[in-house]
Amino acid sequence: MTAADDIFDQSTSNVQGLGLCEIPFTESPPDLESETLQYIFTGREAELRRVFNLFQSRERRRVLVYGRIGIGKSAFLREVLSVLRRKRPQMPTAYISLPADLDLATTALIAVAREMADDEWAQRQLYQMGIPTAKILKERSAEAGGNLVISGKVTEKDLPITKPLYPTVSLDTLLERAQEKYPQGVVIAIDDLDKRNPSAVRQMMHDAQGMLKGRAWFILTGHPMGITGDLLTSERGLFDLQLKLEELDQPTTYKMLINYLNSARINKGSTDPDDPRSVLPFTPEAAKHFCEVSLGKPRLFNRLGNTVLDTAANMQATLIDSEVLAQGLKAAAPELRERAALSVQEERVRAFLEQRGPISDETITYEDLEQLGLRSFSEILPFLERLEAADLAHQLDQDDSKAFAPIALPPALE
Amino acid sequence: MGKGFGQPKVVPTRNATQFMRAFGKCYAKAKGDKRQVEQFLQANLAKLDEHLLDALSYIFPKLLADQKFGDKQNVATLFLVFGNTVGDFPLGDRALNLELSIAAYQVALKVYPRDMFPQEWALLQNNLGNAYVDRIRGDRAESLEQAIAAYELSLQVYTRDTFPEEWAMSQNNLGNVYSNRIRGDRAENLEQAITACELSLQVRTRDTSPEEWAMSQNNLGNAYSNRIRGDRAENLDQAIMAYELSLQIYTSDTFPEEWARSQNNLSDAYCNRIRGDRAENIERAIVASELSLQIYTRDTLPEYWARSQNNLGNAYQARIRGDKAENLEKAIAAYDLSLQVYTRAAFPEDWARSQTNLSAAYGNRIRGERAENLEQALAAYELSLQVHTREAFPEAWARAENNLGTAYSNRIRGDRAQNLEQAITAYELSLQVCTRNAFPESWARSKHNLASAYCDRILGEQSDNLRTAVDLYQEAAQVFTQEAFPLSWAENQGCLAEALINQASLTDNSDDLDTAITLLKEALEVAVPGSPGFIDSQYRLGNALSRRFELNQNANDLQDALKAYKTALDAISPEHYDREKIWQALPTTQSVLGSRLVREGQWQEGLQLLLNSVRLLSEGDDQLAHANALYQTGRAHETLSDWDNARLYYRDALRLYEHLNDQPGIAQSRHGLGSVLASQGYFKKGMAELQQARDLYQQLDRQNRVREVDNLYQAAQRAEQQLSEVPA
Ligand SMILES: Nc1ncnc2c1ncn2[C@@H]1O[C@H](COP(=O)(O)OP(=O)(O)OP(=O)(O)O)[C@@H](O)[C@H]1O
Ligand SMILES: [Mg+2]
Repeated sequence: MTAADDIFDQSTSNVQGLGLCEIPFTESPPDLESETLQYIFTGREAELRRVFNLFQSRERRRVLVYGRIGIGKSAFLREVLSVLRRKRPQMPTAYISLPADLDLATTALIAVAREMADDEWAQRQLYQMGIPTAKILKERSAEAGGNLVISGKVTEKDLPITKPLYPTVSLDTLLERAQEKYPQGVVIAIDDLDKRNPSAVRQMMHDAQGMLKGRAWFILTGHPMGITGDLLTSERGLFDLQLKLEELDQPTTYKMLINYLNSARINKGSTDPDDPRSVLPFTPEAAKHFCEVSLGKPRLFNRLGNTVLDTAANMQATLIDSEVLAQGLKAAAPELRERAALSVQEERVRAFLEQRGPISDETITYEDLEQLGLRSFSEILPFLERLEAADLAHQLDQDDSKAFAPIALPPALE
Repeated sequence: MGKGFGQPKVVPTRNATQFMRAFGKCYAKAKGDKRQVEQFLQANLAKLDEHLLDALSYIFPKLLADQKFGDKQNVATLFLVFGNTVGDFPLGDRALNLELSIAAYQVALKVYPRDMFPQEWALLQNNLGNAYVDRIRGDRAESLEQAIAAYELSLQVYTRDTFPEEWAMSQNNLGNVYSNRIRGDRAENLEQAITACELSLQVRTRDTSPEEWAMSQNNLGNAYSNRIRGDRAENLDQAIMAYELSLQIYTSDTFPEEWARSQNNLSDAYCNRIRGDRAENIERAIVASELSLQIYTRDTLPEYWARSQNNLGNAYQARIRGDKAENLEKAIAAYDLSLQVYTRAAFPEDWARSQTNLSAAYGNRIRGERAENLEQALAAYELSLQVHTREAFPEAWARAENNLGTAYSNRIRGDRAQNLEQAITAYELSLQVCTRNAFPESWARSKHNLASAYCDRILGEQSDNLRTAVDLYQEAAQVFTQEAFPLSWAENQGCLAEALINQASLTDNSDDLDTAITLLKEALEVAVPGSPGFIDSQYRLGNALSRRFELNQNANDLQDALKAYKTALDAISPEHYDREKIWQALPTTQSVLGSRLVREGQWQEGLQLLLNSVRLLSEGDDQLAHANALYQTGRAHETLSDWDNARLYYRDALRLYEHLNDQPGIAQSRHGLGSVLASQGYFKKGMAELQQARDLYQQLDRQNRVREVDNLYQAAQRAEQQLSEVPA
């Protein structure tokens, strides 16, 4: 045994000391293939209901899921798809994260084709685009025992994608073929619409009107500023359902904490929120406080959870009480900043925000802007959004202005 | 008394005599094998020095006295051979080698009097002419005169009837030197060159002496490619035809070097060609240069390799296809390569030319920091001017002065007013040499550039400067005709139009605008869609038409202006953003066009334009334009019922207008903001904004606006009352 081996064992036993086999918090949701999502996904009942209601109709529908960065759009989308996979095995579902430089039709084409492993025409389309996944797909579909759901991202940098000449026509042809096989239709889920620049998305949506109103179910996600904000008003009637995901309320966040911890607990225990042991290794008081600090934002919740558990394990604590939590949260602020790797200008805005407290397009002054080397609030907005994405700022719920506040870390203990 | 003062110079000759003896032995042993003789020179490189040059004319008697080399004529032949060998010798100090060669020929000429040895004498004259053509030291204009004199002397012996082949050779050489002559009338010189080449081609036929025929074709091509008289488009096509004929004989297998040279010349001609598709011509130029580089390598034929690199650089610099930034990098790389061989000491002229080209490429460069690139360009021109002096290379000097002017006009560092004065001086200097008769194209180019500098000039009265500019552009237009110089013609038309537009804005004279619009429409008829010139013209047309619309309120003008702007914007790609004029024009064009489009229902495109313009203006100095663009963006969002964004931009506009204390701006942004807030249901807040807007409009006496705001206010008031009456 080397010293490094020792250290590894020590780390493992530190986490085990907290009664967990691993730290369950992650930046992004688990893959569709894994069962983890089922255990940790919490809340969003009303939103799920609205989506599933639509699926009771024969008419193909279009759904837009939108909400701020890290609010849980991808997790929600995957939850929807995994339920459909269980309940509607006859309805293939394709998940894809919108790749750079591709239009919606080509993206959808890839997503669906990857799923139709035994359709030669579909595979040829992929092959022509330089995505030779047919064989793997076949193997996978065999493994999955007739369940044709395949997911995956094609965003890898170097993938040489040559777009089909007439993507809309190709997609239409493909959907026609799919129709014969899967009379209930195909679900195409395109995630991360917002990872592209707003004007490109705007144009793309406009161009894709015909395609979206075609033969498949579509679920798209994006965050509201810039893109979807515009889409909501401009492409009126394009979506049958526009679903906004908001911050989770405190009781739901508390339940989410229980679910995450339980998914990693060595000896499964109670999941009843009224049972103090359900949040172990947290004390109920610390758990409650932790949920407050996370502001009901799932990504922030996961990031903070990660740091808190990590800190506790390093301290070789077996229980996370207010004291240990405070230590963990203290470590979180610098860690978030480090992870964010802010540019100079972003850091300037962050420091300004921290020093000034909440700022908004209504209250900021010309002198404030000048201090930042800018002349308009609309120019700071992208920086603020970047800070929001890094959980270094959050948007306040104010309808008559755009307001941002710093995230209060470490919090004052009661 | 100083030593040696007033006494005849005593030149030590011992070393030189020994050297020539050794050379003679080697020559005798080599029995005509040129390589062995060259190897000898290579081994004795250090002995090719100034002393040898000084001594050469004195050692003839000593060698004769040796009696090892035969009689007078045999010794003279030795000098002839030495002259030939050292003149072509690629190593050592080339300037010195050529002097040695000239000196050797002159010694030999004394021994071969014309009346006794006409043939040898004529041969020596011809070779002497060749050495003078290449000569580096001494006054270049003078050297070329010497060369002409020598060739013409040789032609007195070489007559067409008695020595047809030699006659053709000297004619060919004469043609070559006339092509490059500095003195005399340049147009006339080029006619002479063409005549001489054509004469030589009367004897040299493709069947009887294919190789020589090909060489004369090549030289004829050179003369045509520079020709001033006649139709320029036709001349260039003649040149291309001549080069291509020469390439029928010169193949890469049989005459690799000549093949490569003609390819290289062909490249140059295609680069300048007027007829045919320009983009295609340049592609051909690139191919031809690259073909020549298959033969020329840096090691085997450094000089030609360097020249081809230089031409390749030119072709890439002019290239239309492909990525512009990338092409310029390739051009710079090629020039840099050529300068590895073209050192200042060995090839001063070529060095200076490549420096000039390099600076032009730096002047246009897109990558890297622009200010820095322009300094590089200036530095390179100054370097090239050290060699391209006015006396020795008047044409190149003038060209460099012209380019220096351009570099100064574009310069970012230093005082702008001063830089423009420098530019004007440089252009005027270049015009002293480039007269309309001798160098019509360069003359017109410098006139054109001078005009542009006057347009931008900061010192002096603006109206005077503009008038001068208009006159100068009109002068340039006499040479830059559509037929002979279609590209320059279009550019000149566009600039003239711009000057007229600016003049019109000082005088409100719509005649100038009418003229400008006509000029631009003419230019657009032939412009390649999407090319920078096309974009410039469309943009200017947009400006001229919207100015005219402001004067006469003719709706058609506005419609056409929008169309022109739209076409321009569609064609602009980011790589053009560094093009200064478009860059300045872009944001304002975008916001004008953008807000119009949004109002006409083309909101997607309109909004995109507005957002771009806001982004660009936020980096500029024109705060009012920035505020206006923010306001327009707010309006566009309001039109789209995107209340959140509308509010955001109205507030941004308001803040900036307040900072600038621009009352109408403040009023209109409060108006917009109030209207949006009310639409969102924030009646109280909205009404407060509307109230302030109303008061301001009242002060500004904008009664229409007051009424509009009143209506909005009342609507908000009613809505609020209804809301409060609804039981919660
Ligand atoms: N309802 C939920 N229950 C449990 N975990 C959730 C829930 N929603 C989100 N998460 C978790 O929060 C993290 C962030 O969520 P997710 O990646 O879905 O956000 P997003 O809105 O897609 O973010 P982005 O805007 O960056 O795409 C993930 O680890 C995800 O698993
Ligand atoms: Mg996501």
